[in-house]
Amino acid sequence: MPPKGSKKAAATAPARTLVLDNGAYTIKAGLVSAAPANPSYDDCVVIPNCVARSTRDKRTYIASELAQCKDFGELAFRRPVEKGFIVNWEAEKAIWEHEFTGAGAGEGLRCEPKETNLILTEKPNCPKELQKNCDEIVFEQFEFAAYYRCIGPTLNAYNPSSVGSFSALPQECLLIIDTSYSDTTILPIYHGQLIQSALRRLTVGGKLLTNYLKELSSLRHYNMLEETYLLNEIKEAVSFVAPSTQQFSEDLERTWKGRLGDKRELDSSIVLDYVLPDYERSIHGYARPHDPAKSRMRRGLQPLQGPREDLLPLGNERFAVPELLFNPTDIGIQEVGVPGAVMQSLSILPEALKVGMLANIVVVGGNSLIQGFMERLQSELMALVPAEYVLNLTRAEDPIKHTWLGAARFAREPERLKQVLVSKAEYDERGSAWLGKKFAGGEKVA
Amino acid sequence: MPHVEVLPNSAASVAPGWTYVVDTGYDPSKIAINPKNKKRVAAHPGGARGEHELTSRQQLAISRRIAELNKDNDPKQNIQIPGKTSTPKTQNARRIIQYQRQIKHWLDDEEAQLSAPPPRGATAASRIAAQPLRRSSTMPSIPPTPSEATPGPAPSTIPRPVHRETDDDILMSIERSMPPPLNPVELEALLSAPPLSYAASHVGPPPANGPPPRHFCDNCGYWGKIKCLRCGARVCGLECKDAHEATRCLKWA
Repeated sequence: MPPKGSKKAAATAPARTLVLDNGAYTIKAGLVSAAPANPSYDDCVVIPNCVARSTRDKRTYIASELAQCKDFGELAFRRPVEKGFIVNWEAEKAIWEHEFTGAGAGEGLRCEPKETNLILTEKPNCPKELQKNCDEIVFEQFEFAAYYRCIGPTLNAYNPSSVGSFSALPQECLLIIDTSYSDTTILPIYHGQLIQSALRRLTVGGKLLTNYLKELSSLRHYNMLEETYLLNEIKEAVSFVAPSTQQFSEDLERTWKGRLGDKRELDSSIVLDYVLPDYERSIHGYARPHDPAKSRMRRGLQPLQGPREDLLPLGNERFAVPELLFNPTDIGIQEVGVPGAVMQSLSILPEALKVGMLANIVVVGGNSLIQGFMERLQSELMALVPAEYVLNLTRAEDPIKHTWLGAARFAREPERLKQVLVSKAEYDERGSAWLGKKFAGGEKVA
Repeated sequence: MPHVEVLPNSAASVAPGWTYVVDTGYDPSKIAINPKNKKRVAAHPGGARGEHELTSRQQLAISRRIAELNKDNDPKQNIQIPGKTSTPKTQNARRIIQYQRQIKHWLDDEEAQLSAPPPRGATAASRIAAQPLRRSSTMPSIPPTPSEATPGPAPSTIPRPVHRETDDDILMSIERSMPPPLNPVELEALLSAPPLSYAASHVGPPPANGPPPRHFCDNCGYWGKIKCLRCGARVCGLECKDAHEATRCLKWA
């Protein structure tokens, strides 16, 4: 329980707000003040949300220190956020202190919590106990002056729907497809408020894709089960979504090795060799078209002197991995793909809302950067949506920072902010149960 | 008197010749009685089990694999926070910081809470609670909230209907075929519906009449045209079959 002797509330809410989009993979953070300047993507800093330990140089890297890392081999990660929810506060506290409140925090993000508001985003459907833990840590450990916790993607409604509009009001109808590290969620949002019962979640996210690529590469080539960082890099560099199911089959043919006695040449327009970094001369690998001679040489015929290189051939892995977003059943996940999930989510909405949602779909989250993702999503949705509906699908300009930008725009309006913020004094007086209820039901913003 | 008929099933290849088979049709209760009888099940691939249905062992392997792919942290590796950490300021904060639980523990807790008997009778909440693991297919029927049941005065904050926005563009021509404007009561019910539990928020399986699931070679990722006779996994050809049997075959797993 909170301490009973509550302090006097500060007369006015602080002018500065720390906006935290606290993702499982990266934290998107920035300080926003009520100044008239419009926040932009440049005000947002992306920080890895992890503590990483290297067994090679015996160093532990906290969050942004990862940029100093020179050897990502067998790097082990500890992530405080699991499935999108902050689970391990020991690690999250260390990261926040390192990045925002401690002495070593960077100049742009350092703040004194007692003089700062906090807007913290969370994933939808967070267990109540975890929300309570989060509220208690924010006020009792960090002692932020005032705080608002809400479902991150809903704040995308405060981004202008078109370039010319500067309305401070949230967008009327918005369907967010948030395809992130932990999972992919479909969120219909009406006037900035999430329609909770229509939210749908797909198990497939960036983490699962990376792990799947890791599994396939380990099975087919080298044991790479400890090389999460590398495989994520490879996934981001080479994977693509096949434009259609037919094209998927064709690509699968072209990358097939053929039968015994009937070997085929691999199609070097798809098959790549990824040159693995050795962490001596190179930190990052790179991809180049497949060269059969070189990969034969790989088997024991490397020169003893001079540069050696290790190659990871990538064939159907390139498109079979992101295909899981569209066909989770390929590995036995009993769920429909992203387009089907959109239709399932919309199916419980009244007709009029459905029309509005389909005309305003915005995709955020890192997986949308996979080459071909938007095209495939567009064409599959087209096939599912009845012809008389207008379908308008866009990807946010920067899908990773877009939710943060929405939150920053939200935080820029002092009046609006005042309505939702809960001050530390209020918390001390009424306790965390009250706070939980307020944030659960208090998302109605005029 | 049971109806006797020769079934053109693929068992013929296993046992040459033909046999009389008692056709009782698909009877799930029989499968449930003796799910462990894998030999018999394996000998009747086209019988009780459909072409695309999986054995319990395969299902277990798949769900383990998905859990593995979806794992956030490896509980075996223990990474300490370096440097000295600031001390927790309250007892409460100390307790929370010291938790070593993983997300699955919290989600299990949530499920357990939901399935605990609700204080009152058959409300919508108890329906969800009775089947905590059922996916969203149960959810589209939004539980009628009291605000819907009692048609009270609509709150003044109800926004205007949606398609006002589209008034002046090409949608004009089909405006008449557009859906009726939003019912404020319905909308209010929709907006005030409580969040689903984490498990209930997942999307449902693909429709049964959709394309059949695709199968890929367990080894190389090409089409899995052949089923491994021992474990039922798919492989693409002889080469991959050998590799599969040497490493991944579930028969002895």
